[in-house]
Amino acid sequence: MAGTEGEWEAWMAAAQGGDARAYDRLLRACLPFLRAVVRRRIRDTAEAEDAVQDALLTIHQLRASYEPPRPIRPWMAAIADRRAIDRLRRHGRRQGRETPIDEFGETLAAPAANVAEERLDQARLRAAVAELPQAQRTALALAKLEDLSLAEASARSGMSVGALKVATHRAVKALRRRLGGAGE
Amino acid sequence: MRTEDLIGCLASDLRPVRRLPSPAAQTAIWLAGAVVAIGAIVLAEGLRPDLMQRLTLPQEGLQWLGAVATGATAALAAAMLARADRSARWALLPLPFALAWLATLGLGCLADMARMGEDALAPRLSGGCIQFIIFLGVPLGAGLLLLLRHAGPVRPGPVLALAGLASAALCSAGLSLFHHLDASLEVLLSHGLAIGAVALLGRVFGRGLLLRTPVAP
Repeated sequence: MAGTEGEWEAWMAAAQGGDARAYDRLLRACLPFLRAVVRRRIRDTAEAEDAVQDALLTIHQLRASYEPPRPIRPWMAAIADRRAIDRLRRHGRRQGRETPIDEFGETLAAPAANVAEERLDQARLRAAVAELPQAQRTALALAKLEDLSLAEASARSGMSVGALKVATHRAVKALRRRLGGAGE
Repeated sequence: MRTEDLIGCLASDLRPVRRLPSPAAQTAIWLAGAVVAIGAIVLAEGLRPDLMQRLTLPQEGLQWLGAVATGATAALAAAMLARADRSARWALLPLPFALAWLATLGLGCLADMARMGEDALAPRLSGGCIQFIIFLGVPLGAGLLLLLRHAGPVRPGPVLALAGLASAALCSAGLSLFHHLDASLEVLLSHGLAIGAVALLGRVFGRGLLLRTPVAP
């Protein structure tokens, strides 16, 4: 809603006197105008809408400083532009302080930051292994962790090669299930 | 919160407001207050006996007018810049007057050199001048900032600096009415330092006197 010449100014003058209906009409009418001003600086839709809301709050706060019958559009545009610049500055400062973790997947930028996560994973793995039945635990330890051949593992554990194969397979499957991986 | 809902809240909370006076009227109100405050101190201290004789000298008369004009135009520029729709170029308004003021002080230094020789260029500071300008300039500047507190969400930086310049320049002009320094360089250094200090204090501590910028929840 563009409004006829002088209509917005008359609504604001009425709003200064306390006319809530004129004020509501003005703010709804000027919304596309404020959005257009803000979008000249901010492309991100959500960020731009936040700046528009900041501009509306500022217009509300400063409504006593509007001087009718001066054109109200330059007044509103200057306020919206300032709020857009403020949002961009805040956004810039935030970006300077933060590292977006999405781009790095599971790895954080600082190597030291990964230590805690690795420790957590190790603890979960140990707990999951501890819950396996004895035979599966032994088979897993010899065949996968100590990397022995099936014959060597069989000689060390006293289990048959077939029993070792089955126990190792079941142990891996159980761990996958418990640690959130897809089962076979 | 959706923007349409925010508009509903703002409209339903609307209270009538008293429209602010125009920037020119705000400047006039502040200037009147500043003249009363500075004038009261000048009268209490007593005018310099040689005042009329000094002010009729072109260089000293122009110097005094330069300080007054710098203060008045800086106050008007601050009041204009506090309004969102006024041009940022208003900040340049006091510049020619400030330059003219500096030029008359520079000419004064040259005249002093011709009169007093190299002694005129010895760097001296007047503690009394600096104290007067700072102690009176700070409250006057604070008064102007309170009058222009709507500048906070619009253009706080230039308004803070101009308010400091306005009040300090007027204090400097007031000081010249009852206190005379022999050397222009001493005036330049003492008044310049004090004006810079008031402008800096305004820039650093004045922000709290202005309205805070609202941020959407």
